[in-house]
This record gives sequence, C-alpha cells and structure tokens, in this order.
Amino acid sequence: MWPDEPGSASRRFFYSAVFWLIVPILMGFTLSILLFAPPFQDLIPRAWQPYLNFGRLRPAHVNLAIFGWLSQAYAGAIYYILPRLTRTKLFSERLAHLNWWLWNLLLVGALLTLPAGLTQGREYAEMIWPLDLLLLLNWILLGVNVWMTVRRRREPKIYVSLWNFMAGILIFVFVYAIGNKVWAPSGAYTGMNDNIINYFYVHNLFNSWFTTVGIGLALYLLPKLTEKPLYSHRLALWGLWSVWTGQHHQLWSPAPDWLEYLTIVFSILAAVPTIAFTWNFVKTMEGRWTQTADDVPLRFLVTGAFFWFLTCVQGVAQSFRGFSMFVHFTNWVVGHSHLAFVGDYSFWGFALVYLMFPVLVKRPMYSRRLMEWHYWLTTVGLSIFMVTLWMAGLIQAQNWLTNSVPFIETVRSLQPYMMIRFIGGGMMVAGQFVFAYNFLRTALARQTKTVAAPMPAGAGGGGE
Amino acid sequence: MKQTGLVYLTSGSLIALLFGVIVTILIPALEAPGPTALAQKYTEQELRGREIYKREGCWYCHTQQVREFEANRSAIHQKGDIGPESLAGDYYYQSPLFWGTERQGPDLTHVASRFGTREWHILHLKNPRALIPGTLMPSFAYLSDQELDDLAAYLLTLK
Repeated sequence: MWPDEPGSASRRFFYSAVFWLIVPILMGFTLSILLFAPPFQDLIPRAWQPYLNFGRLRPAHVNLAIFGWLSQAYAGAIYYILPRLTRTKLFSERLAHLNWWLWNLLLVGALLTLPAGLTQGREYAEMIWPLDLLLLLNWILLGVNVWMTVRRRREPKIYVSLWNFMAGILIFVFVYAIGNKVWAPSGAYTGMNDNIINYFYVHNLFNSWFTTVGIGLALYLLPKLTEKPLYSHRLALWGLWSVWTGQHHQLWSPAPDWLEYLTIVFSILAAVPTIAFTWNFVKTMEGRWTQTADDVPLRFLVTGAFFWFLTCVQGVAQSFRGFSMFVHFTNWVVGHSHLAFVGDYSFWGFALVYLMFPVLVKRPMYSRRLMEWHYWLTTVGLSIFMVTLWMAGLIQAQNWLTNSVPFIETVRSLQPYMMIRFIGGGMMVAGQFVFAYNFLRTALARQTKTVAAPMPAGAGGGGE
Repeated sequence: MKQTGLVYLTSGSLIALLFGVIVTILIPALEAPGPTALAQKYTEQELRGREIYKREGCWYCHTQQVREFEANRSAIHQKGDIGPESLAGDYYYQSPLFWGTERQGPDLTHVASRFGTREWHILHLKNPRALIPGTLMPSFAYLSDQELDDLAAYLLTLK
C-alpha cells in the first residue's frame, strides 16, 4: 500500500486520473442528451431518475472532472517533476501515497454524495463539509511534499515550474478555505456576499491552481518535448501574475459597481502574463513547429497553448460590461468553460501523460496510431462542440436583448444546435475511450522492451 | 542551499492573497446594504422548499438575478414580464444565493408574479412537457407530495 519506490506515487496518480476522466465525461455525455431530448429521462428507470437528473448530474460532472481527472493528472506530474528539477529524492514517497489514497477517497465521496443530492448549492463549491475538509487536507499534503522537496534540493537554481507549483498550491489552499467557508458545515455565507466570495473562489480556483500550476507544467513540457531550452526564464516568471477578484463572472449583478470596475481593470492587466507566456512559447517553438507533425504530445501541448491564448482573449472580452451584457447566462459561457478546461488544461494533461507515463512504466505507449486518433477525435469534437455553443449563445443573446419572442421560442429554436453539440461531445467521448484503451494496454503490456526517458534521467527542465 | 527565494515567494503570495481578501471580501461585507421590501424571511416550509430547490439543482438552469438593462423589458412569456431589477438587499436573508450563471430556463426572480397558484407549480414540476411543449425541464415526479408542496411554497415566495 505504501511503496517507497521512486515514481510509484506519480504512476498511481496517472492511473486514477484516467479513471476519473472517463467517469465525468460519461456524465457530460448524458447531460448533452438531456439538453436536446428531454424525454430521454423517461427511458431511465424510475428508481434511478433522481440520481441521474440534470441538476444533480451536472455538479458531479464538473467536480469529478476538475478535482478528479485534471487535478490528479497535475498531482501525478508534480510528483514526477519534483525530484527531476531538484536533483534529489521526493521528500516522502509514502506521504505521496497517503495523498493518493485520500484523494481517491475524496472523489469516491463526491461520486456518491453529489448525485444523491448532498450539496452546498454553490457552483464549484458543491461538495459537503467533510469532503471540503478532506480536499483541503489533500492539497496540504501535496504542498508539504512540494515545499520540503524544494527545501532539500541539490540544484541551486529553482526552475520557474517549481515557483508556479509552490505559489499555486499555497494560494489555492487559502482560497478554497475562505471560498468554501470550511469552518462552517453549511459552507455558505449569507446575502450578497455569498456570491461575491463564491466567485472570488471560482476565479482563483482556476487562476491559482489550474492556470498557475498549469503554466508551470507547460513550461516544463515545452523544453522537454522540443529538446531546446526555454527562450527566456525571466519572461516566464511574469506568468506568476494573478487576477485577484472574480467579480467579472457576475457583471451587471446586484454587487457593488466599484467592484465590477476594479475587476475589469484586473482582467485587462491579465494581458501581461498572457502575452509573456505566449511570446515565450512562440520563441521557444521557433524552428520546431514542423516537429508537431509526428510528435503527438508536442502537438497536444501546442494546440493547448493556442486554445489557452484564445481562452485569455475571450476571457478578457467577456469581462467587459458591454460584451458580458450580451453573452452572460447563454450557452456561449458553456463553450468558453470547455475551451479552458478541455482545450487548454486537459490538452496539457494529455501531453503530461504521454510524456511521463511511458517513463514511469518503462515502456513506450502501446500504439502511436491510437494517440493520433485521440488527438484528432478530441480536437475536432471539441471544436464542433464549442463553435456550436458559441453560435447558440449568440442566438440566445440576440433574442433576449430584443425582448420580442417568448423565452421558450429560443429554447425550441436551439434544438438542432444542441444535437450538433451532442455529436461533437460524442467525438470527444470516443477520443477519451481511445486514450484510456491505449493507456491501459500500455500499463498491462508485458515488459519486453525498455524505453529511454526522452531526456537523460535527472536532467533539469531544460532551462538550465 | 539558500532559501531566501522561498521566503520571498511565500510572503509575496500571501500579500497578494491578503489584498484579494480585503478588496473582495472585507470591504463589500462592511458596506453590504440592509434588507429591501422584497427581502423574504422564510417560513419553515418555505425553507424546506428552498433546500429542495438547492438539492435538485434547479439553480443550474434558472437564474435569480434580473439585471438593470433587461428589467421590465425582457420577455419570459410576454414583453417585460421578467420583472423589476434585483437589488443587493433583496437577498438579505438568503444563504446560499441562487444567482446562477446559466439560463437554460427562464429567470425565476419574480416567477410567483407570473404564475400565482400552487396547483400550477406542482403540476408543472411533475410534468413540464405537458404544460410547455418544447421545454428542456426534466420531470420531478419522483418527489413526494410533501416535497412538491414545500417546493411550490418556496417558488411562491419569488414575487
């Protein structure tokens, strides 16, 4: 249960991450059916209907995808990278295993409670009190291992990825604790402030954990996969820049106007890290673009970076009051959240798995052809999915603002769009099944040939 | 090995966090407005209904937030019936808030002003498609009669 073998915890995190990828996408697939064919509900046995109803499945889909698949892939990658960038052993492999057990306990808890309707009723903060505490404990355990390993490092220079991991984890722990009011079982504040604090948390969940840590991971992947040093380490440090309020998720709301204006200013300032990262990325890629033709992990990384840039541009646009007035509450936003979550962070997650898992199990991926299928099904499926939702969102926006047709007319007119979205979503699901199959075959393959790590073992991030 | 970098990182991150907490949480809390005339104090039954609204995730598809530019203008069934603009004090007694982020269904801030009877709501909750063809709303027929009654009682507070 608690092996001390280096890399064993990282390997386990990747195993469970892939499992927690499949569970929420099946939920998402079910939700996409309910959005164009509500009578589908009648096909579900009566006894199951409460657990599979839209309003209960949606939070399970979201929470398992973010705290399951992606967060576990991140954790696995952090445990993989730490000893390599510090040139020392992980502070405690056993602690990392404890972390893995408790993390999966948390996710099993979420899987059982959310469809059962046990929720705190706040977006991204649905998990009930005991699970809130367990989640916090998990991130603290991860943080202890990261900080202690960095303290004991034998490499004097701290590569930018490590800075991002440390800052991201530290801030996220506090943001989660405050945002979820972990000292109170209800987990909710009263009155308008409940929403302000909820969106402070939601925004910084993405900002501190998924973005700051995610950029750290991308800055590790980039020199590794291109076998070329990072263009500028100094420029990379500009990525450590955050947007501190989340109120631009709720513009035109009853919250104070000054807070909205402040948040817009911060959103515009987010252009600084966006440009810094993108510039660094493009300059490092110089002379390596053609490598993406046959290097699937690098192609996932590059496509992810492109989608990331698009997310940032869209995000800033959405944080203007004029544009928000138009698209807020529409399907546009659902498209945006999948662009960010699937298009960039999960794409980087796939690159992490493809780079690290073969090293951890000491054999290459079972099939390169299946990797290609995974890439194309996911990319094309996601693009169909997002573009359809953006178009649907604009139709909703137009109808709502002209105040002419009853609400239900717009709902009816969107049915074809929701069907196309379902098809795009189905392609994404198929892509993930291909991925999981390929992953499983790799894991179960007999150890016949050995694979060299893409870079000499123990080498740094390539920046040194 | 020098650890000064770690000290800078820790203090920098915590200062940034503190700034965020002060601006985003403390100041708005200090200047939060008092209750308006629309602010509801719930009865025990209405509170039970509100818990069902939360449990069944109604708020993922229905917002409770009418914005300034759409107030008394947007159409749910007919032009303007979305109702008046929501004010911060309207939510004075509520926890958690159901402002929502998505409108797969219409805004419910003032739904009780559009549909005033408990019978209609219960019928609609049980079989929405029979009353509104083309609706995406799922059936909540699996709720007990008591639960449906509580939920309808809560919906009727949304005036």
